[in-house]
Amino acid sequence: MRPIVSLDNVSLRYHSVSGETPAVSHLNLEVLPGEFICIVGPSGCGKSSILSMLAGLLSPSEGSIRIDGEIGYMLQKDYLLEWRSIRSNALLGLEIQKKLTKENIEYVDTLLEQYGLGDFKEHYPYQLSGGMRQRVALIRTLAVRPDILLLDEPFSALDYQTRLSVSDEIGSIIRKEGKTAILVSHDISEAISLSDRVVVLSGRPARLKKIYPIQLTIEEYSPMKAREAPEFREYFNAIWKELDVHVS
Amino acid sequence: MFRKKTQQVISREQAAFLSRIQRRKALVLTIQWTLLFAFFLLWETAARYGWIDPFIFSQPSRMFAAGIQMAQDGSLWTHIGTTLWETVAGFVLGTILGTLTAVLLWWNRFVSDVAEPYLVVLNSLPKTALAPIIIVWIGNNQTSIIVVALLTSVVVTIMSVLNGFLQVDHEKIKLIQIFGGTKLQVLAKVVFPANIPCILNALKINVGLSFVGVIVGEFLVAQSGLGFLIVYGGQIFKLDWVMLSVIVLAVLAAAMYEGISLLEKKFMKWQE
Ligand SMILES: Nc1ncnc2c1ncn2[C@@H]1O[C@H](COP(=O)(O)OP(=O)(O)OP(=O)(O)O)[C@@H](O)[C@H]1O
Ligand SMILES: [Mg+2]
Repeated sequence: MRPIVSLDNVSLRYHSVSGETPAVSHLNLEVLPGEFICIVGPSGCGKSSILSMLAGLLSPSEGSIRIDGEIGYMLQKDYLLEWRSIRSNALLGLEIQKKLTKENIEYVDTLLEQYGLGDFKEHYPYQLSGGMRQRVALIRTLAVRPDILLLDEPFSALDYQTRLSVSDEIGSIIRKEGKTAILVSHDISEAISLSDRVVVLSGRPARLKKIYPIQLTIEEYSPMKAREAPEFREYFNAIWKELDVHVS
Repeated sequence: MFRKKTQQVISREQAAFLSRIQRRKALVLTIQWTLLFAFFLLWETAARYGWIDPFIFSQPSRMFAAGIQMAQDGSLWTHIGTTLWETVAGFVLGTILGTLTAVLLWWNRFVSDVAEPYLVVLNSLPKTALAPIIIVWIGNNQTSIIVVALLTSVVVTIMSVLNGFLQVDHEKIKLIQIFGGTKLQVLAKVVFPANIPCILNALKINVGLSFVGVIVGEFLVAQSGLGFLIVYGGQIFKLDWVMLSVIVLAVLAAAMYEGISLLEKKFMKWQE
């Protein structure tokens, strides 16, 4: 299968008055259609920078990026616009891309209904819980029908309890909608339970350290059940070691 | 999980709490009105018993009589109308021009960097000092007064609105860019709407500033308006007119402030 995303020897450097910061160094990565990839790495290593390049917000200093499809990007927090109703927030992307067709609006309404927000369409963001807001943010991203979803620690603003259920929920939604996903996380369990492959990066500048294909023996896949698989511990320990030992 | 604005059955405790709050509110309001009434009563009494000279200090009953008389011959309405028109024109224009300039400066960061020191100096300059110059340039007319009023509010509007624009969360701007949004869309979907509270707040402050500009302008142009009435009344020792004008000004300013607060409520139903 032809990769939907490929990074070829990509490097990125930031320039500021105080100097040059190398953020990403000679990164190679290919993602297949429908794959769920998790990127883990020490904090500040350059994970968000990689997503910014994939989203086209930054161009690499060296190397090239090829993407075969529309990108959807979910940020660290929900960033719902407080002055817009939930429905109008979910329609934001379509509005910006001038794709507010009857069909697309219906699609958003269906998503809202399907994911338990049907009764809250005319509410304002402050009236919703953190988990619900995060779901609205996902629907806003899905509304423009992206092929590839970039998720930058989308659950980190949530408390642990909510985080578990929301990541479970959102992971299932993404699988169900058949999207390719690249998720940045600093939570190893989350990465293992959600993804097909875990990509471990070095400290800044981010280099590729190792890729772990995840294969869990469970009857029916769900991110929650994945955590109970016998192999889970092993993966966890291996990735933990890989991350921890080399932190400098 | 969520908060919904629904009518709830309230407990006895909650009812007691609510009635306590109600009572406190009523008490505050009663005291406020009583103080106001007492002030005028004291003033009137002091004038009647000769504790103060009503010729210099005026007195409520004489102000009232002067007010009735001027209302009947229509001159009061002309003066109020003039001042009101000039003030509204001043702060509306000041806010619009200030906001537009802020948009321009936000759009072009280079220009805003160049403009910054000028803005800072202009902001600390008392704008009413420019009034005589404006009158020389534009003429001894109402336009001058409106321009002075506008000048008092425009610079502070530029500074506070631009500051609001620049403080918009960068991630929210990124959100628009992620969907391929243009700079104009960043402005229209995030930066501007996020700052509507800030602009309304500027409008509120500008009401007061604009009044200052208008009254100073009327002092100098001296044709009509409450400012003119104050100066003219002072010159011919008609203190009743002066005091009456001051009180009418206070009422007008309060009414406008209230009006904008109402506008604010209407625009901010999305807030807690
Ligand atoms: N605009 C910028 N200018 C200069 N340096 C930057 C810029 N953005 C990020 N950096 C630096 O680049 C490095 C990588 O940043 P990035 O945000 O990609 O890391 P990250 O892995 O996402 O971090 P975190 O785990 O905290 O989310 C950091 O050291 C950061 O300080
Ligand atoms: Mg990051």
